[in-house]
Amino acid sequence: MTAAEGSVGTAVEVTAASRWYGNVVAVNDVTFRLAGGITGLLGPNGAGKSTILHMIAGFLAPSSGAVTIAGRPTRGHPELYRQVGLVPEHEAVYPFLTGRQFVLANARLQGMTPDQASSATERAIGQVALEAAQDRAIGTYSKGMRQRIKVASALVHDPGVLLLDEPFNGMDPRQRLQMMDLLRRLAAEGRVILFSSHILEEVERLAERVLVIVAGRLAASGDFREIRRLMTDRPHTFTIRSSDDRALAGALMGQPMIAGVSLDDGLLTVRTADFGAFSRAVAGVARRADIRLHELLPTDESLESVFSYLVRR
Amino acid sequence: MNGVIAAITLRQLLSRRRTVLLLLLGGLMILVALALRIGAEGANLPRFAAVLLETFGVATLMPLVALLFGTATIGAELEEGTAIYLLAKPVPRWVTLITKLVVAAVCSVALTCIPVLLAGQLAGGGQHGMVLAFTIAAAAGSLIYCAIFVALSLITSRALIFGLGYILIWEGVLAGLFAGTQTFSVRQHTLAIADTLTDAPTAIFSAPLELGTALVVGSAVVVLATSIAIRRLLLIEIAGETP
Repeated sequence: MTAAEGSVGTAVEVTAASRWYGNVVAVNDVTFRLAGGITGLLGPNGAGKSTILHMIAGFLAPSSGAVTIAGRPTRGHPELYRQVGLVPEHEAVYPFLTGRQFVLANARLQGMTPDQASSATERAIGQVALEAAQDRAIGTYSKGMRQRIKVASALVHDPGVLLLDEPFNGMDPRQRLQMMDLLRRLAAEGRVILFSSHILEEVERLAERVLVIVAGRLAASGDFREIRRLMTDRPHTFTIRSSDDRALAGALMGQPMIAGVSLDDGLLTVRTADFGAFSRAVAGVARRADIRLHELLPTDESLESVFSYLVRR
Repeated sequence: MNGVIAAITLRQLLSRRRTVLLLLLGGLMILVALALRIGAEGANLPRFAAVLLETFGVATLMPLVALLFGTATIGAELEEGTAIYLLAKPVPRWVTLITKLVVAAVCSVALTCIPVLLAGQLAGGGQHGMVLAFTIAAAAGSLIYCAIFVALSLITSRALIFGLGYILIWEGVLAGLFAGTQTFSVRQHTLAIADTLTDAPTAIFSAPLELGTALVVGSAVVVLATSIAIRRLLLIEIAGETP
């Protein structure tokens, strides 16, 4: 993380920010500072990721706390948008404009002269590799293409801060890789990039730093490897079906990484504190005891359970 | 005025469905005028024309056209989610609002005044300068209505329904009942302007409101509605899909 090296000019600061809608708390006392590099805003759907991004973008007022870009609140300071590129999650883009017209309009609205806007549009469309489709109406675009033209429109004025709400939604794996490469290049040029995602793998592959948001709270933040370790070190629970569940239960109890075994209603459930060691050992244990494994299912692998583990921690 | 916003708004407002609907409404007025002209040969044509211009033009076509364009110019973008592309830009919000209002007003004037002009001419309203008077007055009325409906679309997401209720209940019934309420009726402002511009005798057409009152109150409504709309656009909140 390059927070110390980042310039004050584009630093994004969220300080004790909360946001509620009536009685519903969407974001609860969140504090972080971004000054460069790619940060992933990770959390299940409805956790408050969009609310945080929209607060940073100045489209939602924090109910308490402060949200600033370059030291000034984004809300009520439209001139700050010269430094901000926003890719909303919402898919709607003017269907009657061609990709080129849309990006060009964004460039012009950023205050560029027609000449500047035209060359910036060419560059931005090249960055998202949409040259071939740039003269087609956006209404005919696929979801992934629409996502890319939105990114081009957010890049066209070369902003220092790039905010992307679920940018990989609707992209195929190849487009996803291309977009990740593009974001890495943009970050290497010194930009502050914040993107939200509910998919662990996307964040893992792209983000240098992660903010985990669960139920409106910042559950964890920092280097991804650390969070990953927290996630893998937590107790895992598996259900196992085998040719002899009772014998397998006995054999597994002898293993050091096993924290508990239960046999309820004929269902063998195993708890382990070390996911890696367990997954390596289980097949050998079964084989030595001459038991055939039919099924091994993790019971709590949903992202929500990983997140809630982080929250309880 | 911002040229880019104006161009996008114009293309959006003149979407096929909305424009066809309003052209049909205008066309209907012209058809009625034609029917009057043919069916009422030799009758009091200027009087027929005045009734047509007043009831169909000023009381029906003008508010409906302004309602559809006025509520759509910003409201539709907020509803569809494209507004964020215009608002996340270093363009002062008042410029965005005025641009959108002007485009809505231009579209409204075009789709109201052209049918009024043609229908008025066909129905025999050429005498006493009535057609021109109504055309100019309808342009002014369209602007006032647009300002009201743009503000309404920034106050409620159900602007179309509330706007329709306002046209039917306030403009259609309540405002016509008393001299006091007439002062605050855009229809009456429009008729007052038309009355001033024509020399038609009272038996053919006359409006109850004084021109001065109409101009003062009408302008005040435009200024007030526009200020409210600008303020609402400054304070507007756009949440993500998962608030």
